[in-house]
Amino acid sequence: MNADGSPEMLELNESAPSRGSGGVIELVVQGRPCLYDGDPDLGSLLEYRGENSLYVNVRINDEVLDQRDFENVPVREGDRIDFLYFMGGGLFVQPDRRRN
Amino acid sequence: MFNLTEEEIERYSRHIILPEVGGAGQQKLKEASVLVVGAGGLGSPVLLYLTAAGIGRIGVIEDDVVDLTNLQRQVLHTTSDVGKPKVESASETMKQINPHVQVDVYHERLNKDNIFALLDRYDIVVDGVDNFPTRYLINDACVMKKKILVEGGILRFMGLIMSIKGGETACYRCVYEEPPPPGTVPSCAEAGILGAVAGVLGTLQATEVLKIVTGVGEPLYNRLLQFDAEELRFHEVNARRNPRCPVCGEKPTITELVEYDHSCEIQAP
Repeated sequence: MNADGSPEMLELNESAPSRGSGGVIELVVQGRPCLYDGDPDLGSLLEYRGENSLYVNVRINDEVLDQRDFENVPVREGDRIDFLYFMGGGLFVQPDRRRN
Repeated sequence: MFNLTEEEIERYSRHIILPEVGGAGQQKLKEASVLVVGAGGLGSPVLLYLTAAGIGRIGVIEDDVVDLTNLQRQVLHTTSDVGKPKVESASETMKQINPHVQVDVYHERLNKDNIFALLDRYDIVVDGVDNFPTRYLINDACVMKKKILVEGGILRFMGLIMSIKGGETACYRCVYEEPPPPGTVPSCAEAGILGAVAGVLGTLQATEVLKIVTGVGEPLYNRLLQFDAEELRFHEVNARRNPRCPVCGEKPTITELVEYDHSCEIQAP
């Protein structure tokens, strides 16, 4: 957890412990392994990454979500999560890139 | 053996020397026809490379005129073209690059009334549009007509590309079933685009067309490739067909072309 109480997401590397329990889960987001200790739902993960949920589709483990109430979608240890950005050519809101 | 002149053999020698392409591949390029929708950021590199590569017949449909703000990325046009229809400027540049290529220009907007007739005239379609309504229209029409579509989109520092074999491989709606909610998106002018990102994605689209025509390698079917220029990363997503897809799924609900509203302004709540 960061000093301001926000979840901390770390890119996994060889020295990073792989805990996967006790509130920290290991995810693969956009093809990159990471640790996540925020609330284990997709809405929180999107918010943490600064993604605008209106302009992104989400796939979890290769399945396109058919629901947009992302706060009701759990994220679990080992999930592979891909954000599919709408890029129509102008009609898009860029995520606020705080972290990967 | 091949219907290529001495001049063409010399012009395309760096293609022909590739064993995977050869004279037979160059002949296929010459016999191919490609429709490029949009002569802007994506359309520029697509048209430049397809023309240089010797695609026999290239259609360009675009209703816009060249604006000064286009020139930072739309490398098909020059300062002296400002105010000129983009199709006119495009055609002039293309003919300068390669006079062997037949260029068909359509100074009009693609819509549900003209799209099928246009698709019938070409083997492959390349999407280089700047709005969602036309993007969905092209996708749906290509699925219905079983056309090959090379889809591309860009914005700010990002881009995406996927190739679609209409009715056989995952289509745009398999990934993005519907456009973002209307009335909530920022204006086209507000979003911005790093000029060279258009070059990256458009060049990838042209590469896909050349591969598909010549049969070289594996097209980007059932895969969606996202490009992030800020981190200089590509991320590939498996994009297999979606049974729920409203146009090519198991129970399609879109059986006729639909046109969404073209408005792209933010509407205050």
